[in-house]
Amino acid sequence: MTMTMTRSVPELTAAAPWRRIATGDRVVAVAERAALGTSARLAVWPPENLDRALAAVDDVLDMLDRQASRFRPDSELSWLHRGGGGRYLLSNGFAEAVSVALAAAQWTGGRTDPTVGDALIALGYDRDFAAIDPQRREPPGPPAPAPGWQLVRLDGPILHLPPGVRLDLGATAKGLGSDRAARAALAAGGNCGGVLVSLGGDIATGGTPPRDGWPILVADGPDPAGSAPPQRVRLPSGAVATSSITCRQWRRAGRVLHHIVDPRTGRPADGPWQTVSVAAATCADANAAATAAVVAGDRAEEWLASAGLPARLVSRDAAVRYVGGWPGEDGGRIDVPSGTHVYSGARPGGTR
Amino acid sequence: MDSDREYRGHQDPRPGFGEPAPARGQLPLPGFGGPPPGDGRVPLPGFGGPPPGDGRVPLPDFGGPADGPAPTRHDGVRRVRRMSNWTLAALIVGTGATTVALAHHAFPAAATTAGTSSTAVGTGAGAVTNGAVTNGAAGPQVTHSVATTSGSGVTVTTTTHTVNGKTVVSHVRHVKPYHDS
Repeated sequence: MTMTMTRSVPELTAAAPWRRIATGDRVVAVAERAALGTSARLAVWPPENLDRALAAVDDVLDMLDRQASRFRPDSELSWLHRGGGGRYLLSNGFAEAVSVALAAAQWTGGRTDPTVGDALIALGYDRDFAAIDPQRREPPGPPAPAPGWQLVRLDGPILHLPPGVRLDLGATAKGLGSDRAARAALAAGGNCGGVLVSLGGDIATGGTPPRDGWPILVADGPDPAGSAPPQRVRLPSGAVATSSITCRQWRRAGRVLHHIVDPRTGRPADGPWQTVSVAAATCADANAAATAAVVAGDRAEEWLASAGLPARLVSRDAAVRYVGGWPGEDGGRIDVPSGTHVYSGARPGGTR
Repeated sequence: MDSDREYRGHQDPRPGFGEPAPARGQLPLPGFGGPPPGDGRVPLPGFGGPPPGDGRVPLPDFGGPADGPAPTRHDGVRRVRRMSNWTLAALIVGTGATTVALAHHAFPAAATTAGTSSTAVGTGAGAVTNGAVTNGAAGPQVTHSVATTSGSGVTVTTTTHTVNGKTVVSHVRHVKPYHDS
């Protein structure tokens, strides 16, 4: 019924080099490199743990890319898409990634949904983002509402994928990667000191934080003219993630599109919020909640409050709202609630 | 590095494309792979030298083997008590030094900056912490942002330079031309 394959696939890409970042504090070592279509950043103390932590993060990023990338032909995700539906025995790491995505979909009431793959393709996000023609003249394809995460079943490591369903793990994969990388970096340093990992702005922490917490800048869009001013916060533990419609935009037939898709319509989310930042116990939770809040639109504040998560919402006219204990003042401290919805809902050994 | 873990699947729609992504196997974590110490014993300060050839270990204040009569059991007890006193004294001094060190690092945090994208802090290099960190329960004092949370693809570049003796940290937002992989 199943067949075993152990042949390795040659590496197609080489990891970009890390470069050290001078932040002004020498008690923390910071480095950054390109990864997963965005940037990866690692901050670690004591600084002498940096090299070992970087190696550990490299392993995590490489693994995640091989598991969940939509754009690598040798990824596990591409492999199962080529199958056209059926049952697949996944690696443990990819099974966890799918399980987290499904748990996030359930938790957010379907506002995040890993079955939006075809919707993104219909909108034109069908290739490496940097390779997308930002001014294509032909209109996007007809909207493709997500088939629904309930159609996908994961029994332990066995995935049941209906024919024609394409997955996209964008709402949770970077958060999951940050969580994994933070754990790995901390372990590489002998669980001594503290680490912070950011994947494209989705930040996870581990170990002992700096006094008063990790200082983090919360930013809106790339254009200061249409954005809220940055805010400094301090994160003693947990994670923070941001989803925004102000980046990863492209045009089709004069229409501006972005990558956060409402699974119910298959169209880009068009609610009142352009950027939402959420703090949670884990980065996968924060990542999913931030995306869900953008999709939730008018109901975002209500949903975030019910989830008990601190959040900062920036409207399309750059007005800022704070909910769930997110500090309104600059330099304020974010205390995240304990517990995780996403990982507690993800049951790699169970049925979903 | 890619062949020590098995992947299985029963979907092999195209020749040569049935293989899932390779994965790394379980590697020993750095710092956990070294050999254990030989016998687990750690020499005490002042007692680390090899014992004399006859197997007797010299005690403080007693030097090498004495020429006089062999010490009595009462002498041995006195020596042990003297060692205990020295050990207690060393513990007291060490605890005091640790307390002072922790108190030194317990000063309140520097005021955070206002919501601007450029901040001026400190008074030149001397204001920047010197790299000493505490390895206890509390982390070091970090005053500058180490990362930015923002929409994916938005990057804030942090640069540090000195102007008129002050360390100026600037944050510049931009979208980097990173490629999706």
